[in-house]
Amino acid sequence: MAKKTKKEDIIEETKVTDHKLVPKHEILSEDGKKQILSRFNATEEQFPFLFSTDPVVREIQAKPGDMVKITRVSDTAGECFYYRYVVEAV
Amino acid sequence: MSLEESIKSVGGIRFALSSPSEIRKYSVAEITAPETYDEDGMPVQGGLMDNRLGTLEPGQKCATCGNTAPKCPGHFGHIELAEPVIHIAFVDDIHKLLVSTCRACGRLLLSQEDINEYGKRLSEKSSASPMLVEIISREILAKVKKTKECFFCGRGQYEIEFTKPTVFHEITETGGATRLLPVAIRERLERITNDDLKLMGYDPSSARPEWLVLQVLPVPPVAVRPSITLESGIRSEDDLTHKIVDILRVNQRVRESKESGTPPLIVQDLVDLLQYHVTTYFDNEVSGIPQAHHRSGRPLKTISQRLKGKEGRFRGSLSGKRVDFSSRTVISPDPSLDISEVGVPFEVAKKLTIPEKASPWNIEFLKKLILNGPFKHPGANYIIRPDGIKIRLDYVTDLQMHADTLAPSFIVERHLTDGDIVIFNRQPSLHRMSVMAHYVKVLPYRTFRLHPAVCPPYNSDFDGDEMNLHVPQSEEARSEALTLMRVQDQILSPRYGGPIIGGIRDFLTAAYLLTKEGTFLTKEEFTSLALAGGMTPNMELPKPEKTDPVPLYSGRQLFSLFLPRDFNYVLVSKWEKSLRGATKDVVIKDGTLISGVIDRAAIGAEESDSILHRIAKDYGTEQARRFLNSTLRLLKAFITRSGFSYGFDELELPHEVRSKINETLDESYAKVADLNAQYKKGTLPETRGLSPESALEFYVANELSRAREKAGRIADKSFSIQNAGIIMARTGARGSTLNLGQMTAALGQQSVRGKRIEKGYQKRALPHFNKADPSPDARGFVRSNYRDGLNPIEFFFHAMGGREGLVDTAVRTQQSGYMQRRLVNALEHLKVEYDLTVRDPNGNVIQFRYGEDGIDPAKSDHGRAVNLERLIDTTALTSDQNKPAAESTIERAVEKYGGELNPRLREDLLRDLKSSKLDPKSVEKVCEKVVELVTKGTVEPGEASGIVAAQSIGEPGTQMTLRTFHFAGVKERDVTLGLPRLIELVDARKQPATPSMDVFLVEDYKKSNEKAVKVANEIRFTKVANVIDRVEVLVQGEIDIYLSKARLAERQCTLDDVLAAIQSPKRKIESDERRNLITVKMEVDFASLHIHKNKILNQKVKGIPGIDRVTVVKEGEEWKIQTSGSNLAKVRQIEGVDKTRTTTNNTFEIYQTLGIEAARNALVKEIMGTLEEQGLEVDIRHVYLVADLMTSKGFLQQIGRHGVAGTKTSVLARAAFEITVPTLAEAAVRGETEELRGVTENVIVGLPIPVGTGMIDVFMRGV
Repeated sequence: MAKKTKKEDIIEETKVTDHKLVPKHEILSEDGKKQILSRFNATEEQFPFLFSTDPVVREIQAKPGDMVKITRVSDTAGECFYYRYVVEAV
Repeated sequence: MSLEESIKSVGGIRFALSSPSEIRKYSVAEITAPETYDEDGMPVQGGLMDNRLGTLEPGQKCATCGNTAPKCPGHFGHIELAEPVIHIAFVDDIHKLLVSTCRACGRLLLSQEDINEYGKRLSEKSSASPMLVEIISREILAKVKKTKECFFCGRGQYEIEFTKPTVFHEITETGGATRLLPVAIRERLERITNDDLKLMGYDPSSARPEWLVLQVLPVPPVAVRPSITLESGIRSEDDLTHKIVDILRVNQRVRESKESGTPPLIVQDLVDLLQYHVTTYFDNEVSGIPQAHHRSGRPLKTISQRLKGKEGRFRGSLSGKRVDFSSRTVISPDPSLDISEVGVPFEVAKKLTIPEKASPWNIEFLKKLILNGPFKHPGANYIIRPDGIKIRLDYVTDLQMHADTLAPSFIVERHLTDGDIVIFNRQPSLHRMSVMAHYVKVLPYRTFRLHPAVCPPYNSDFDGDEMNLHVPQSEEARSEALTLMRVQDQILSPRYGGPIIGGIRDFLTAAYLLTKEGTFLTKEEFTSLALAGGMTPNMELPKPEKTDPVPLYSGRQLFSLFLPRDFNYVLVSKWEKSLRGATKDVVIKDGTLISGVIDRAAIGAEESDSILHRIAKDYGTEQARRFLNSTLRLLKAFITRSGFSYGFDELELPHEVRSKINETLDESYAKVADLNAQYKKGTLPETRGLSPESALEFYVANELSRAREKAGRIADKSFSIQNAGIIMARTGARGSTLNLGQMTAALGQQSVRGKRIEKGYQKRALPHFNKADPSPDARGFVRSNYRDGLNPIEFFFHAMGGREGLVDTAVRTQQSGYMQRRLVNALEHLKVEYDLTVRDPNGNVIQFRYGEDGIDPAKSDHGRAVNLERLIDTTALTSDQNKPAAESTIERAVEKYGGELNPRLREDLLRDLKSSKLDPKSVEKVCEKVVELVTKGTVEPGEASGIVAAQSIGEPGTQMTLRTFHFAGVKERDVTLGLPRLIELVDARKQPATPSMDVFLVEDYKKSNEKAVKVANEIRFTKVANVIDRVEVLVQGEIDIYLSKARLAERQCTLDDVLAAIQSPKRKIESDERRNLITVKMEVDFASLHIHKNKILNQKVKGIPGIDRVTVVKEGEEWKIQTSGSNLAKVRQIEGVDKTRTTTNNTFEIYQTLGIEAARNALVKEIMGTLEEQGLEVDIRHVYLVADLMTSKGFLQQIGRHGVAGTKTSVLARAAFEITVPTLAEAAVRGETEELRGVTENVIVGLPIPVGTGMIDVFMRGV
């Protein structure tokens, strides 16, 4: 069984972003976020949420208030974008 | 003010509590007398039927408003309660408030700093923390419980004990309990400050906590609780009236005894009685107290019961209402009708009317109708004059006079006539095709007639089914029905983007008989059939295929007559498929059927990529309707003339075949006997993971099912292709080869709960067999067939299996019905907005582009925006073959047009064009057409995509099998499938019924079986009990554990592993490696020694908790591990496991370890997998929407009251779904406002729903 030795190992062990079920997540810049908000004419709370406790959020080190752009692989469109707003978990 | 003047549109509803002073203010009378009527039958003043509360008798005037019954809205009265009582709907709130506040000063039991802190957090509500109110009230509740002393007045706090339903006690330091009376509770609640309340999520402006304890009880107006007069003249009062009488009586007694100085104990008993009556007045189903009963013994239906449940106010009277202008009767088939028509009996047509306004253009026509009167069709039933007076023509003697007075702007309610549009429906209305608009055809006799081709969408048959018909009354309603709901507009199902309407049963048989090789028709036959199909004089007659000796036309020529002239298509007929496989036999060139037979695959219902589908897609649904009509009518005429029947003699098998079948069965019997012998000898080959008993059972069941198959196949082979049964089965008209085999060869194994029949008597299914009889007959194998008949024992077994089938169907319809309701409730408010996002009514985005590509599945081509192959094929016909476009030209063209296309479509287009050899001009043409088709296929804003998705997933639920434990991949891994699995998924269960993992391995491990097995053993949970031979507990305080070498080896454990596992300071352990014995010595009594033994046996030796079984399997080139039991987080940490591919079927675990996006993908995968496994076609966009909704709040939400449906913002929508009364109570204390933005809310208040056509409005500029 793998032993927990160094901190890096632990991160490596719990790394999830390379799993095939996990699509690409990236934090949008302040500008990018503004652009998305105006493109969809929606407030931040109207976006789908991403909890600050989500394993992916911890890994990409997003903070509550960030907007995360997700690049999904789609059966219908080939590739598509989804956006989630990082919020404090309940 | 009259009632008409007060009619306004509802803008919103605010929920709040009435304060005592408000109740008194709105009261028109204080009710004191428990009597209702006096001796003269007059209502008692101050009694429950006081005429100030409104009136019920027609003609009698209300003492308050002066209106008569229809116009008097009713007025509230009130009762002054002698002693305060607790309102049962709010006890939990009262409890919470008592616990959270100081018993002396009423402040929150928090420090000033905490209060300031929370206040600050609430006022600065950040968008990054949308659930703040919930978070804070939860935190406060947790903190408050730890506080022992008030931070403000310093008083010590006592624990509050709440005894359901309404009693509170305070536990003092001495341990004694003092009862907290409602009076005291009320005083405490009064002291709570408004600011503190706000922190806890209450809205003091709409609900002060002291109002939760009642001092004044409002008495509803008589209209709410009408009394009925029985035939005998005796009045029977409403349940509510009875209950209020009880309250009044007790109230009076309490008051009297208080005044007369009765001992407090007795007064208290009376107050408790008063509490009981008030409680049951609100809710007669409170647990912990007896129900109040009527004199007849029936429980009273009080306020809560009136609102709750299916027949309650919300679901029974507000969300759904009874309607006028509707009719219901039995349906029967009529293939002579158009598919868009419905046959309506004269009797019905004379009762259902359409209001038609007279104008110079129709006045003569209307006059004629009036002259016909109400009893002669087509006539009229009413005339409405411009002054609003309605004349009923039944009682009119001089119809001529009324016809003469008719003038423009009069309205005539005329009979339903041919060509009117009506809405036709069959319950259960599982999808939108269950409600379609038909044109009326008035016919004699007393049933509704419909074309058999529209049976599939309604899921109807004619064994006594009844259907409903509704007549739209307004011009708007009619035009909406006409543009959106007609049958031809529903040919393509939004569930999978293929036709749901089409030929069934005999139409398909007829199509085969007509188009098969060797069907020829004389000119006379040909023309008369063509005429039946609607051939017109301007259509050209084809050249006869044979001219010698007489001109003869082929059946294919007749069929080709109604195909579009420029239609080209090839497909595999069902017939060909069952015979030879997938060779495309049906060829249609330029609208002529060249070869192949027409059957289910070509014109059938629920068949995608059929001829019918192509016509509907390429030529439009109107053309498809005409094609279907002509073809089906023609086929009907053809089969009527040629005749078709299936008889007893066609089920007869030749003698040789019968003996061959018998031989096969005997062989199988012998094999079963052999298997049994092997089992007894112990030489039965092992199937890993199965006990010898289950292995035997497994082999036997396999052998027997093969026996039936073989027998069926032999029978099948012996039939000629002229056999009617074969024709029906192969064309897809009815039945299957399995059915044929069961009728002619052998019925096969009967099963109950997926197993051969075993229960009944000791070791035998019926007393006619010996105990433990190994013969297949004894366990429900039926050798006989339906034709020869079953012997009594077989018959009984068959009945057992049959009964299970019936029970299964009954259970399944219920389960899938509930799932459907939950899905619809969770998704109904989602619609496509103008920017093609999918949002809920509050603007929360669920999807950023509907279905990720913005294509409407109903307008798609079997799920795709464009059928590229077909488009290129058709373009190729006009393309210059010799000048194929250069690759760069193609790339440029795609670049030019493809700007808006999604990546996948662009890729496909590029690839297909490059391999197509089209000339440059055609390439441009294709690109242009693709863009056009994508635009055409794009969803329209306002589309109720949520409801469509819910229906598309819910409707096939009824077709799913219920009990499906299926072996997936490996035999010993059984996985829940079918409806239970689907329900489990939308429920977002934390633990599915059969968790299971697919563990992939990294490089070195996946290539070697040995290494894979090693990893498997690291994963499999092994406890001590798994590796022992036996264990002995000795009286002298010793546990002897004999380890099994074989088991240790199988699980790759050693004695040391076990030793390490059971190590404990309390135990003295010795081991004997030679004998594989571990001795544990303990100095405890014998009984606890046994407890220790069990403890030791359950100790983990190695592996991961939760993983029960593992199987190493080879998939392609690599080894992988399948498990039953799941623990993703832990398994990922094992060396050799591929972290990037290893998955589980537990979506909640995926959410926890991989995050919400992975959970969404897993949900889509699992739901699609479940549907596909059942052979159900559902467009993936519907599944996307459900998965996106379930994950849109950052965590997995279930489809149901604890998830999506329970967190809707609308109070009314939540109340109408499930937990009605508590929802309303909570809305009141929180001061919630109903904004009326969703669907259910607007249905309830009677406004248009804000989706589709209800979303838009005419905007008028001010003058």
